[in-house]
Amino acid sequence: MTGIRIALTGNPNVGKTTLFNALTGSRQHVGNWPGVTVEKKTGRIDWNGHAIDVIDLPGTYSLTAYSADEVVARDYIIDENPDVVVQVVDATNLERNLYLTTQLAELGVPVVIALNMADAAEAGGYAIDREKLSALLAIPVVRTVGTRGEGLDGLLDAAIREAETSPHHEHTVGYGNDAEAMIASIVDVLSADKDLTKRYPLRWLAVRLLEGDENALAKIRDSPAFTGVQALLSGIDPDEYEAAMADRRYEMIAAVLPQVRTAGAGGMNVSEMVDRVVTDRYLGIPIFLALMWGAFELTFAVAAPFVALIEAGLAWLSATVAGSIEPGWLASLVGDGIIGGVGAVLVFVPNIFILFLILSFLDDTGYLARAAFIMDRLMYAIGLPGKAFIPMLIGFGCNVPGIMAARTIEGEKDRLITILVNPFISCSARLPVYILFAGAFFGAGAGGVVFLLYILGIAAAIGSAKLFRHTILPGESSPFIMEMPPYRLPTAWTSLLHMWSRGAMYVRKAGTIILVGALVVWCLASLPFGVDYGSSASLAGALGHLLEPLVAPLGFDWKIAVALLFGFVAKEVVVGSLGVLYGTGEGGDALSMALLADPGLSAATALALMIFVLLYTPCLATIATIRKETGSWRWAGFSVAYGLVLAWLLALIVGHIASLFLGGA
Amino acid sequence: MSNVIKGVFGAVLGVLYGGLGMLQIVSAVTYLALPFVPASFFGGFVLLVIGAVLLTGARKFAQGLDEGVVFVNVGILLSVAFGAVTLLAAGAGALEAVIAEEAWSIADAITPAVYLAVIGAAGFLAWCRTFFRGLVAA
Repeated sequence: MTGIRIALTGNPNVGKTTLFNALTGSRQHVGNWPGVTVEKKTGRIDWNGHAIDVIDLPGTYSLTAYSADEVVARDYIIDENPDVVVQVVDATNLERNLYLTTQLAELGVPVVIALNMADAAEAGGYAIDREKLSALLAIPVVRTVGTRGEGLDGLLDAAIREAETSPHHEHTVGYGNDAEAMIASIVDVLSADKDLTKRYPLRWLAVRLLEGDENALAKIRDSPAFTGVQALLSGIDPDEYEAAMADRRYEMIAAVLPQVRTAGAGGMNVSEMVDRVVTDRYLGIPIFLALMWGAFELTFAVAAPFVALIEAGLAWLSATVAGSIEPGWLASLVGDGIIGGVGAVLVFVPNIFILFLILSFLDDTGYLARAAFIMDRLMYAIGLPGKAFIPMLIGFGCNVPGIMAARTIEGEKDRLITILVNPFISCSARLPVYILFAGAFFGAGAGGVVFLLYILGIAAAIGSAKLFRHTILPGESSPFIMEMPPYRLPTAWTSLLHMWSRGAMYVRKAGTIILVGALVVWCLASLPFGVDYGSSASLAGALGHLLEPLVAPLGFDWKIAVALLFGFVAKEVVVGSLGVLYGTGEGGDALSMALLADPGLSAATALALMIFVLLYTPCLATIATIRKETGSWRWAGFSVAYGLVLAWLLALIVGHIASLFLGGA
Repeated sequence: MSNVIKGVFGAVLGVLYGGLGMLQIVSAVTYLALPFVPASFFGGFVLLVIGAVLLTGARKFAQGLDEGVVFVNVGILLSVAFGAVTLLAAGAGALEAVIAEEAWSIADAITPAVYLAVIGAAGFLAWCRTFFRGLVAA
């Protein structure tokens, strides 16, 4: 069996990961917006006697890489020499996609075009002559619909044919007399270095050097040809050449397109129609807020009957345990520790799954990409590119991938700010805390309170970004250019699949980290032997009393101090710990009742606590990701310290103001 | 002719959404109890947003701009979507009441977001072909 490596490349959001999943049977996350894939992923498939490794690369608009994820894609194609490059092309936007094709052809690598989203192009009234396109570009073109798995056999066959065909010639664009003369001179100098000649197509390298590509310059820095090339480039303006050569490529594309594409009848399609309204200067943000509010209302309301069923099940389980397990300490371990701790978290599974279902639906339709677009003006005003809002949106699910998505941000300072503010975006792990306290203390207004907390998280992120931009990370942000993906109608199956892939993480955490956290808190609440369970005399009480002075100004007692301490591991553990400390093995509703009955707690304290949980230190996994992405413990430590200070101050202020209106605290 | 009808439809529905949205907010702020108008600040805000989209469409029609149809179409989509959301939430409330053996009245489900969505749905059905041009499955 012969081995073949296929690299999947293409512009962002053209369906590379969908095609990768369809080809390899993987279940990598896909989204209807650019920047979902920020690092390469590999899958394997056996096909007609070939063992094929398929590598899914991050999206890139050209081989001139600007952001960290684009560098990954470009370096793989150039330095790792895949046997064939499959460029996934969005059939609804050939102009922009073929720009990368011109550069791949210039590189001389074997290329196959997967003309993806062909169904969307046809629905929009376009007809594309694939055979003619293939003939004009001298590249095989295969029609694919990644979402339905159409055209995969033909794509694999074409890729194998190309991989086994040699040699491949570079197909180049003519850049005009002036540029061609410069390219010839640079090639002449480079050809003196035999090692360079073996590694790179010299014409391609010369073009990159003429365009002022820093990465190309780095490739020849140790070459004996470096001084000669530098002398040639010293008197020219690379920006001028880059612009002129880009014009030539687009001229070539403009000459090809009328020969291969027939436009359908005019008139607005649904994507254009909806975009005209949801990206409106005045209506865009109110519509976004209205949709967010709708999402949280649904999260609360639709989950309620399922929550009631789980509560009833936990109550039955707890009663069964209490009556049938001996000795008493074991009954307490199972009832108060496991059922009280894990059950208090599990009871919110329906809320989490419904929120993820709604976010998956908005993501799959393509609306979340519009959310980033409408926030662009606001983001730019605070000194960040609108693109930085995308990692924030991802952070609604989990801050870890949100922080990793900051790799799509080009400027280093922009990327750092985006990473540092992401923990303020309310991830799903905080939702159980909100549901518990808002549900207990705000009744019918709970949905509105949770909605405001999410808005506060965004406001804290934006405010902090502005602060960082004007203090520790000064600079100017780059302008935001983002192509709107077309709207799509998600099927129930794809939305449910996305919901499951995100929500399952929450259930897994309940069975692992939250279970361990609950058991540790139970031990602390039960020891030393002979103390009343969860009393001030227990180890938990001693630890809580030690921490209490720090949180007492916020109206929190020692039990909350202990819960917040363990919430450092994972935010859901706050609820699990409270479940254990209040000894409410009967589930979420019993814990709500216990909190309401606690004279030390009020609506104002609950609000302050929810704000504190929203903003205080990121969880352990997030801190580790900040360390990895910034390459420094200093920034991870800064994130923890800044979060704690901000959370303490805001909880203090809001708690005191709220007590004037709501009473308590 | 169809555009004139759509413009008038957008204006009437927009005024209804705007008016009832204001009533919901006033009711939430002043604790004024009104039949079939729940006291909900954010619920009222959503109705105002839908009303604003529809009235923007009607205004553009009045100015002779074809773009008006786009706003009315999207206003209708929002009306139907939020109507469905409210109805789903009400259905879940009824189910929860059955499970928890609590009282529940169908009057709780009759809110402006639901009964105005019935009018929106009529518009959606009348002009449904416009809404799906170029839309494919994800």
